[in-house]
Amino acid sequence: MKFGIFFEMSTPRPFTTEVQSAVFHNALEQARLADELGFDCVWCVEHHFLEEYSHSSAPEVVLAAVAAQTERIRIGHGAVVCVPEMNHPIRVAERCAVLDIVSRGRLEVGTARSSTWTELGGFNVDPDRTKKTWDEFVRVLPKMWTQEHFSYDGLSFSMPERNVLPKPVQQPHPPMWVTVTSPGTELDAAERGLGCLGVAAAGYAEQERRTKEYYRRIESCDPVGAVVTSAVSTLNFLYCHEDPKVAARTGMGMVGTFGLANSHLMWTREAYPTRAYQSLGNLAPKVDRGKSGGPGDAYGIPEGICVGDPDIIVAALKRWESLGLTGINFLLNGLEVVPQEQVLASMRLFAKEVMPQFREPGKAGA
Amino acid sequence: MLIGTADVRDLVPAPPTLEAFATEPVPLPGAAVLQIISEIRVSGREASLPPGLHPTNPPSVVFQFWDCPESPWGPFRLAQGRVACRSGLRPRGFVQGCVTESAAAAEALRSQWGFPATIGDVVVDRGYDRVRAEVAIGGRTVLAFTGRDPDPLGNGDIAFTATVALANTPRGLRLVQIDCDYAAHRAERVRPVIDAFEPGAWLPASIALTWPISAAVAIADITLEPHRYVSKPDELAFTGTETL
Repeated sequence: MKFGIFFEMSTPRPFTTEVQSAVFHNALEQARLADELGFDCVWCVEHHFLEEYSHSSAPEVVLAAVAAQTERIRIGHGAVVCVPEMNHPIRVAERCAVLDIVSRGRLEVGTARSSTWTELGGFNVDPDRTKKTWDEFVRVLPKMWTQEHFSYDGLSFSMPERNVLPKPVQQPHPPMWVTVTSPGTELDAAERGLGCLGVAAAGYAEQERRTKEYYRRIESCDPVGAVVTSAVSTLNFLYCHEDPKVAARTGMGMVGTFGLANSHLMWTREAYPTRAYQSLGNLAPKVDRGKSGGPGDAYGIPEGICVGDPDIIVAALKRWESLGLTGINFLLNGLEVVPQEQVLASMRLFAKEVMPQFREPGKAGA
Repeated sequence: MLIGTADVRDLVPAPPTLEAFATEPVPLPGAAVLQIISEIRVSGREASLPPGLHPTNPPSVVFQFWDCPESPWGPFRLAQGRVACRSGLRPRGFVQGCVTESAAAAEALRSQWGFPATIGDVVVDRGYDRVRAEVAIGGRTVLAFTGRDPDPLGNGDIAFTATVALANTPRGLRLVQIDCDYAAHRAERVRPVIDAFEPGAWLPASIALTWPISAAVAIADITLEPHRYVSKPDELAFTGTETL
C-alpha cells in the first residue's frame, strides 16, 4: 500500500495575500515533511474558479517547487484537465517532460476532463466534447513523449510533423492515471491501461466492485501508452492523533468544512443536460429524483475515513487494502481549519505508528 | 460566502400559508416541462439566500415552466424562478417567484404546497424547430425566452433538483422542501436565448442574468410528492431541519 498526499489548495475567505500565501507555503512544508517521512507521492490537482474549495490552478508551478525541495517523493501532476481550451496537448506533453526532468524522473501524470460547470463554463468548453478530447489527449501524449517525429490530424487539434521537446527522463514515459469521479470511468482507465486515481468518495462495497472490475478489464487492455499502469488508489482524509476524541473533533471539522465547500460547486450535470455527464459528482447521485435524502442528513462523511488514533486508521486502511487498493492519497486539511502544526504532527504520528504496518521490514516507501 | 446572508424578512414579502402539510401525492401527467438555467450576478445571489441555505458557484437562476394539461385544478401553466442553492449539502432551488394563469392552481399551489404563486400570463409554445416561453404580469412581459435547434437527449439526462419555498407552516415560518418526481418520456436540449427579462415584478430586483447556460424541454409525468422536510430559514439545515 502506497500513501500519498493530495493538495487542493482550499482557501478560506477572505482571500487576502497573507491567507493565500499561507495555504501554498503550508502545502510546500507538508510536501517536504512527507518526503522525509516516507510518503510515496505528492499529488497536486488542477482546478479553476473554485472559490474556497480549490485554488490549485497552476499545479505544474507548485510541483516544480516540490520537486526542487524534495529528494525522493514522487510528483503527481494530477490531474491535468484534458480539454484544449484549458491545456493544449502539446503544452501538456512539454510541461510534463520538464517536470520529469527537474524531478529527476519522479513524475506521475494524472488526466481528467473536469466535472464542474464552474470550470467548463469559465473556459467556454462544450461539455459534450470533454470525454472525446480526454481520450484524444491520453492517446497522443505517450506518442509525443516517445516519438521523435510526431504529427497528428485529430478532433480537437492537428499539427504537422514536429519533435515535441524535451523528452521525459522515465522510459518509455511517466506512469499515466485517470481521475475517477463518475462510476464507470474506472473502466475507461482499465481499457486504456491507465491507473485508476479515485478522487470521489466511494464506500467499501462500491469500491470493491469497481476495483475488481478494473483489474478484470485491464488484463485485456489496449494500452494507450508504451507502459501499463495497473493500480487503483483512492482519496481519503487524514487526521491522526493519539486521542481518538481529539482526532474526531478536529478531523471531522476538516471533513465537514471541505465537504461543504465542495457542495457549492455547480456540477456539470446539474447545469447542462448532456449524456456526457451522468453523475452529479460528489453530490447525491439520485438527486434528480424526488426521493433524495434530507437536508439535515449527515451524508457526506465517507466510509472508511482515516480520522482517528493510529489503531482506528490502521483498521480502516487494512480494510481498504483488502479490497485490492494499491494506494491511498490523503487530504491533510480543508480551508486551513486545522492549524499547520497539528497537520504536521498528524503526519508524523501516521508515519511512526501507521505506515510501518504497511511496509515490508526495512523498506521505505517506493 | 459559505452561508446565505440575506435577511429572511426581506425575501418573500407575503409568504404563502400552509394550513397543513401535503400527505398525498398529486399527479400531473403529460406535462411539458421547460427548464432554463442562467448564471446571475453575485449580488443577486447574496440578496436571495437566507442563512439556512448555501450558495452555488457560479450563482445561477433556474426558470422552470410547466404546461400541465391535467391536474386536480384543471389545466394550468406555471413559471417558477428559483435561485440555485444548497440545503445542507443537497442541491436545491429556492423559489422566489411563481406565476400561473389559473386562479385555482395558484390557490392550491400556495395553500397546499407552499409555492409563492401569483396570477399572470404564462406561454409555453413547443415546435420542432424551437421552443418559446413567456411570462407576463399585468400585461407586462417579465421573461421571454426562445430555445432554438432542439437536440434529442436521453429521458434521464435532465437533472431536476427539488424546490424549497419560504412559507408560513403549522411549525412557523419555514423553508419547505417541495419534491417533484419527473418521469420524462421525451427530452430535448435547446440553445437558450433570453429575449427579455425584468425581475422586479416577480423576483428580487437584484437578479441580473449574465450568461445563459442551458435549456431543455421534456414531456414528463410530474408527481408532486408529499412534504417530507422543512427547515428553519435562519439556521443551518444540518441542525434546523425537521422531518415531517
